[in-house]
Amino acid sequence: LAKPVELPQGTLEVLILKAVSLGPLHGYGILLRIQQISGERLEILQGSFYTAIYRLERQCWIKGEWGESENNRRARFYSLTAAGRRQLKAETDKWIDMAAVVAGILSKKADEI
Amino acid sequence: MAAIRKWWRSIAPRTPSDVEEEFRSTLDAYQDDLIRRGLPEDEAGRRARIELGRSAAQNENYRNAIGLRPFDELGGDIRYSVRGLLKNPGFSVVAILSLALGIGATTAVFSVVYAILIDPFPYANSDRMAHMWVIPSKGDRQFFGITGSQWQQLRKSPVVEDAFIMDNWNLTVTGSDLPEDVHGAYLSSNGFNFLGVPPVLGRGLQPSDAIDGHDPESVAVLGYTFWQRHFHADPSVVGKTIQLVRNNFTIVGVAAPSFTWGDADVYLPLKITGDQIKGFFPEIRLKPGVTHTQADAALQPLIQQFARETPRHFPADTQIKLHVADPDEHFVKDLGPTLYLLFGAVLLLLLIGCGNVSILLLARATSRQHEFAVRSAIGASRRRIIRQLLTEALVLSLTGAGVGLVLAYRTVSVIVANLPQFSFPREAAIQINVPVLLFSIAVAVGTGILFGLSPAWQLSRPEVSQVMQASSRKTIGSVRGRRTHNGLIVGQIALSVLMLAGASAAIEGFLRVAHTRLGYDPHNVMSVGIPIHDGTYKTWPERAAYLERLHSKVAEVPGVTVAAVSSNATPPANGFNTKFEILGKPTAQDQTFRFNLVSHEYFPALRIPLVQGRMWDSAEEHRAAALVVVNQTLARRYFPNGDAVGHSIKVPELVPQPPYLITAPGSDGWMLIVGVIADKLDDGLSRPILPEAFVPFTVAMAMGTQILVRSQGQPLVLLHSVSAAVNSIDRDQQVSNNVRDLEHWISELPEYARGHLVSWLFGAFAALALALAAVGIFSVVSYTVVQRTNEFGIRIALGAKRRHVLWIVCRNIGITVSSGLLAGLLIFVTLQRILTHWIQSSSSSPFILVPVAALFILCAVSACIIPALRAVSIDPMRAVRYE
Repeated sequence: LAKPVELPQGTLEVLILKAVSLGPLHGYGILLRIQQISGERLEILQGSFYTAIYRLERQCWIKGEWGESENNRRARFYSLTAAGRRQLKAETDKWIDMAAVVAGILSKKADEI
Repeated sequence: MAAIRKWWRSIAPRTPSDVEEEFRSTLDAYQDDLIRRGLPEDEAGRRARIELGRSAAQNENYRNAIGLRPFDELGGDIRYSVRGLLKNPGFSVVAILSLALGIGATTAVFSVVYAILIDPFPYANSDRMAHMWVIPSKGDRQFFGITGSQWQQLRKSPVVEDAFIMDNWNLTVTGSDLPEDVHGAYLSSNGFNFLGVPPVLGRGLQPSDAIDGHDPESVAVLGYTFWQRHFHADPSVVGKTIQLVRNNFTIVGVAAPSFTWGDADVYLPLKITGDQIKGFFPEIRLKPGVTHTQADAALQPLIQQFARETPRHFPADTQIKLHVADPDEHFVKDLGPTLYLLFGAVLLLLLIGCGNVSILLLARATSRQHEFAVRSAIGASRRRIIRQLLTEALVLSLTGAGVGLVLAYRTVSVIVANLPQFSFPREAAIQINVPVLLFSIAVAVGTGILFGLSPAWQLSRPEVSQVMQASSRKTIGSVRGRRTHNGLIVGQIALSVLMLAGASAAIEGFLRVAHTRLGYDPHNVMSVGIPIHDGTYKTWPERAAYLERLHSKVAEVPGVTVAAVSSNATPPANGFNTKFEILGKPTAQDQTFRFNLVSHEYFPALRIPLVQGRMWDSAEEHRAAALVVVNQTLARRYFPNGDAVGHSIKVPELVPQPPYLITAPGSDGWMLIVGVIADKLDDGLSRPILPEAFVPFTVAMAMGTQILVRSQGQPLVLLHSVSAAVNSIDRDQQVSNNVRDLEHWISELPEYARGHLVSWLFGAFAALALALAAVGIFSVVSYTVVQRTNEFGIRIALGAKRRHVLWIVCRNIGITVSSGLLAGLLIFVTLQRILTHWIQSSSSSPFILVPVAALFILCAVSACIIPALRAVSIDPMRAVRYE
């Protein structure tokens, strides 16, 4: 089994946006989806996870609606709003940029400078 | 309600049950997941609940996430503060009342001061409105009148922006069985525009209502209270007709409630003619930037010219001086010191109240030191503790402020109901003054915050662990802030003593006024005013016969024991002030007396004895014989040999102005003194008796008279039959609508009413101050006792006498109380000259301080003794263990 990864502050929100952008999901489903995509390498605490959900909903980046889950239970499904989509794109670009810069610096060898 | 819900939805879009339902659905999903991974069902449920927590906690999580946490904490703090206050009802009630009394009294008294003295008038540019007086070379300032053409000259003066003139008449409306007295003000047609207060209905008087030299339009504007009283506030009154003394007037408007110029019931256009007989009261508005002194200088020549043209409208003096003043100057002069004094008193009360709260909060803070040490030890941040203390202080002081607001409204209505009538501008709308209310609340809240936060200052000292270990109650060393306490108590006591001393001076002064020997018997006598209508009974025989018939008709009313004509002689302040001459003696400078026009029954009606000579009889009265009766003061001052009777005097200023003042032939000559009566008051309750003289009322008759009616019982029950008797002589004749008995007129005198008001209010405020100070002493002593219970237990266990312990408790507070008492007495003695002048009590006797000091010591001892006795009566074993 691969080693678990700790998330930097504020990253959880982007991951939730990404998870929801693939299709409406209920809370627990989002959690599972992120873990699944990460290859079970992320350990997400339930407490901070829901705090993140509430904050995103408060910012109107995701919106929740009650519906039926796959095993016929009432569950609250979250989907991305237009503002959420913009936010996701901005955050994604920021991440890729930053990762490229950091990776570029870190991967340099002494003779390349 | 819907708006609040909408607002709340925008802050917290999801309901708690919604959040909980989602939580439960997650819980179920997680549990299913765990079962799928192979856990048994009950074990899966247990693990899910352990990992996810309780659903209530989820709601808290939600509220934190959307940023509501500070509000939740604030709510918690408020609940905690309220619980704390409810748990210590004694502390809370005293603290809240201390603040409330201070806020309420200060706001109420300042509101009255503001409304009466600072900004009484609703009129346009009232700061530039001015009243003109003339001051003779000797004597008090007086009114004067000007004629229509003089008014036009006055308006053209370069310092005057505009001026209007007014005349007053008692009119009547008919409708009920007797004509009703109506106070009419005739205004020059620019009057309403000058005063600039829009009427509530219709229009005011306007220039087209009275063109100079023509008869004015028959229009009337109703006064607001008359409209309510007579027309029951009928909104359709405009356009209707009102009959005044059998002339029809069209009602064109109703004046605003605050428009009470001249206290009139109806306002009518004044007829301006070239007539030089009648004088009217002028009122001016100065041009912007013109001072009163400049106006005096600029108008003086004009006024002197008027005085030459119409000498009868001015005091008979060649040296008159014009005095331009604010229209409310005499109110400020009469009532100002009283109100400022009261304001000073309530400011002291506010200070004492705040002092009390400080003492209570400091004491409470010290006893809660342990609590805060524990809280900070288990991780409460300093900021968090300060926030909680702040909340507690605000809950306390805002509750105090709320109660204070209610008290302020109550106090204002009590003061307004007891203000001396006619001693303040009728226009003054007395209502709560918001800036001062805010100021007092700010002072109170500031005090609450300053002293409420005191535990936080203590926490900043790095001895939290020490405090916790010492369990602060066990040692004297930790009795903190003792110096602050003592300082506060000394200040509080000094201020309360100052107030008590001031109050006793005021009460003493009032009692002296109230117990003045009158020299006449006001009991069961009423004065019935009878105004004579313009243009009626214009000659001496007509008017004399009319008054005699009125008098004899009233005397015949069943129940009337004596009826007497008293045209201008109704005590305790009566008579025209005028100069007189004595036949055969040089006229001294300033030789004036009070000149009274009465019928001979005046003396038996008021039970004033004749001490020398004789009274004139009915026949002499009928022919207006030139006979005089003088009082003892006059006889003693001008005839020290006791030979007043037989001398003659003359009143040079008594000149006829028909038809407004009709004199009998011969009244300008020498009049023989035939008798001397015993002294009675003639210049108010607090001033010495002036020389006065009485002549038959037929000697000079103006546009009205009064009939004094003495009866067996309460005279006012006879008023209707007396009015009917008056009306039976002339069907248009009303009696004044302000008939009262003579005892009432005494209590209406400004010096009486003012003293009454000041004594009650000052006394009440001083009693409150005393109570607050006593509570302050009580709480400090009980707090010290509680702090030192262990120590006392140990002392007693080791064999100390209880007496000794009692001495320890009382010694310290004894020193504090005596220094406060001394400080207060010293301040009072220093200020006494100023204070007694303001209180208008001539007493400067230091003996009034003895009962004050005694009362105070009594209160201090009882406030001290209860907790001290508790300390010594405690069982030593329990005291040692006392936590």
